[in-house]
Amino acid sequence: MTIMMPAKDEAVLAKRNAIIAALQKLVPGEGVISSAAEMLPYESDGFTAYRQPPMVVVLPDTTEQVSKVLKYCHDNGIKVVPRGSGTSLSGGALPLADAVLLGLGKFKRVREIDFDNRAVVVEPGVTNLAISQAVAHAGFYYAPDPSSQIACSIGGNVAENSGGVHSLKYGMTTNNLLGCEIVLMNGEVIRIGGKTAEPSGYDLLGIITGSEGLLGVVTEVTVRILQKPETARALMIGFAEVEAAGQCVADVIGAGIIPGGMEMMDRPAIHAAEAFVHAGYPLDVDALLIVELDGPAVEVDELIKRVEAIALKCGSTTCQISESEQQRLLFWSGRKAAFPAVGRISPDYLCMDGTIPRAALPLVLRRMKEMSAKYGLGVANVFHAGDGNLHPLILYDANKEDEMEKAEAFGADILRLCVEVGGVLTGEHGVGIEKRDLMPEMFNEIDLNQQQRIKCAFDAQGLLNPGKVFPTLHRCAELGRVHVHGGKLAFPDLPRF
Amino acid sequence: MDTLKVRDAQDVEQAVRAAIASEQPLEIIGHGSKRNIGQPIATNALLDLSALNAVTSYEPNELILTVQAGAPFADVLALLDTKNQQFSFEPMNTSRLLGTPDIGTIGGTISVGLAGPRRIQAGGARDHLLGVHAVSGFGESFKAGGRVVKNVTGYDVCKLITGAWGTFAVMTEVTLKVMPRAEAERTLILRDLDDIAANKAMTAALGSPYDISGAAHLPGSALRTVQGPLGEIAAADQSATLIRLEGITASASSRASSLSKLLQSYGAAEIVEDSQSAALWADIRDVVPFAASGPRAMWPVWRIVCPPASGGKLGQEIARRSQGEVVYDWGGGLIWAALPPSADAQASQLRKLVDAAGGHATLIRASEDIRRAIDVFHPQASGVAALGDRVRKSFDPKSILNRGRMSRSLST
Repeated sequence: MTIMMPAKDEAVLAKRNAIIAALQKLVPGEGVISSAAEMLPYESDGFTAYRQPPMVVVLPDTTEQVSKVLKYCHDNGIKVVPRGSGTSLSGGALPLADAVLLGLGKFKRVREIDFDNRAVVVEPGVTNLAISQAVAHAGFYYAPDPSSQIACSIGGNVAENSGGVHSLKYGMTTNNLLGCEIVLMNGEVIRIGGKTAEPSGYDLLGIITGSEGLLGVVTEVTVRILQKPETARALMIGFAEVEAAGQCVADVIGAGIIPGGMEMMDRPAIHAAEAFVHAGYPLDVDALLIVELDGPAVEVDELIKRVEAIALKCGSTTCQISESEQQRLLFWSGRKAAFPAVGRISPDYLCMDGTIPRAALPLVLRRMKEMSAKYGLGVANVFHAGDGNLHPLILYDANKEDEMEKAEAFGADILRLCVEVGGVLTGEHGVGIEKRDLMPEMFNEIDLNQQQRIKCAFDAQGLLNPGKVFPTLHRCAELGRVHVHGGKLAFPDLPRF
Repeated sequence: MDTLKVRDAQDVEQAVRAAIASEQPLEIIGHGSKRNIGQPIATNALLDLSALNAVTSYEPNELILTVQAGAPFADVLALLDTKNQQFSFEPMNTSRLLGTPDIGTIGGTISVGLAGPRRIQAGGARDHLLGVHAVSGFGESFKAGGRVVKNVTGYDVCKLITGAWGTFAVMTEVTLKVMPRAEAERTLILRDLDDIAANKAMTAALGSPYDISGAAHLPGSALRTVQGPLGEIAAADQSATLIRLEGITASASSRASSLSKLLQSYGAAEIVEDSQSAALWADIRDVVPFAASGPRAMWPVWRIVCPPASGGKLGQEIARRSQGEVVYDWGGGLIWAALPPSADAQASQLRKLVDAAGGHATLIRASEDIRRAIDVFHPQASGVAALGDRVRKSFDPKSILNRGRMSRSLST
């Protein structure tokens, strides 16, 4: 384990039995889990390289219970780590040895479906896909579609501001939320927004979304639903060179076409996926683009023609167009199975998640190839090309000495490169613990201090999910100090009127 | 009035630090076009950002624009127009409603976050601000967000700064997502529906797969005195309900005809195309029925956001009780209400109705006296208000920036 977590609070650990007893009073029945064996499933999330058993697991099933648990922990200085389905790829729900792990898995109800206002009110443990399923009979769906949508919870989506293949056209979680109920660390219950297009006052909904469980615990979510597009078709386009594929992506966007999804895979990813699912991917190309157009049939047919023409102009060597829903799904099957497919060719892999300006793609792929040689580790790339979101998969074997450290160093180099070319450390997986120590690559101390001050407004004692997102923890009192720089105006040359 | 015209971010830092030291709050302006919205600010010092007006970079293929906060809004739109692009949140131009010169900056546009008709499809200003450089009330330059559309690195501070009316930080540079302009647009016009029926028709349209980018209803009484494009479609005291579709030509036409069929029980729809359609929506966006040049110039104007399907009922009730006029946008989710003049702009009665409907109301046009006397922004539940104020203070603990613009208790 190369990432340090906050020092354990021995005083809290010494009181573990009393804490368990107190929590059992607040969440009666089977809501408190404290045996080592039963806590095992909670010791990591989707970022499985790191594991840590929690002090105790609590599974409340009402907002009131969440509020009581948080207030108790607040009053007794006990840290809390919230958890949805535990599918985070950045360690956002990694437990702490001296913290209560607060699981929201029992919040499973769809509370209200309001087709007239195009809104659904759900509890945070409802899975992303279950929302779409609950409204599918009326032709509606919930647009953000992270790959883990079958398992990931909507509360976790809010915490991570999850995206997905369709976020290019339909936005991420933050663009599809209408309201939420959160419980602050002191137990206070706050309701923001509702069925209106925007809440009143400051955009607190916006700051909570993507705050990685550091600001509050989400206990209810209201999302916007959309009517399903009439039809969707996909093109599968092969290029002999990555540069040409990158140019094609830029030209499609430049032509004013915003596809429902636009995905790229490089040669290693294509080969791994094809060997796994036999989607009919061409094996003699360096880059494969899957472009999906959705909307009314007349629009999709026309845009398919335009994209095909652009691809040809950019030098595509193969182009297949789906003629049936079955074929469209076949095109996607390889892309959707890319991670497990890579899992078959390598004992372990590290999935990275940076975003770059689209134009920087060829440069970034070239530099990644050099790094791959330097570290002696393979890399396969799948890429949400439309919005510049890279997912390099670094291949390694954890049983070989130093390979995990090497893979982590390789990953860190890739993310530094993303920032260097004008991009960011994470496009959709979150900072968590994985990218925490890289935050200074993108933000200076003042930037990070300002973000941490926001944390102080929600959780002044820093008890909620500490050790995530921020590389250095500061006391709120220290962050809140205003430095006065002399009383006189320091710029006599400034024009005055 | 002491005006500091800053030249760069360092100037802004110095000005804010000096303001902290002298405990003199600053009013932040670009062109000052929206100074008459919000609670009056208690200060004599102006921080003028209009000289920070450069375009830092515009990359049409990346759909990204980076500009300094004081860049004239009209110039920025003209620049995007050269590449057939736009801000898809369709920001409102407040000049006609307020009766102010047609000026304004991009910083002001983001600060107020007043999105137009396309908000129902494309989101608001907050959904288009990707990155920002700003100076906080600590007198420190900081940045947040980035220059790419997909980014979850750290807190989404851009959301907080959008729509904060300059009470969090002084923006010096913003990076915005831009989008291609649609190839074609079609607007269906339905006639003579009452507010409830129109609300139902718009709800049916928005619940259809036809990807609606505008849904507005203008009651006949509000339309009667309107000049310009909207006036030209007005017919004999009849209301007009407008529903917009945008996209490639074949698609917009096909959806318009499908939607006409879907809505045929509401009457035969007339279809208006392209530039003629665009002119109508520009007037809806800018609330021209209540323009300061019209007969209701002296009437206070409220902007009410409510659950869209109950907009018709709420608007009708507001109009009946206040003897005022309403127009609807966002499929009923946005109501503009012009009310006959009174000392409190009928705030308490209006807000009672709006609260009951689960909405909120902001007073956009009113005299300084009225704005001093009542809460311009909707009062919130105490927990939310307190949290919002703690978050504001995390940027500006001494309330140096636009003190009291959004809060009456701070403005006095």
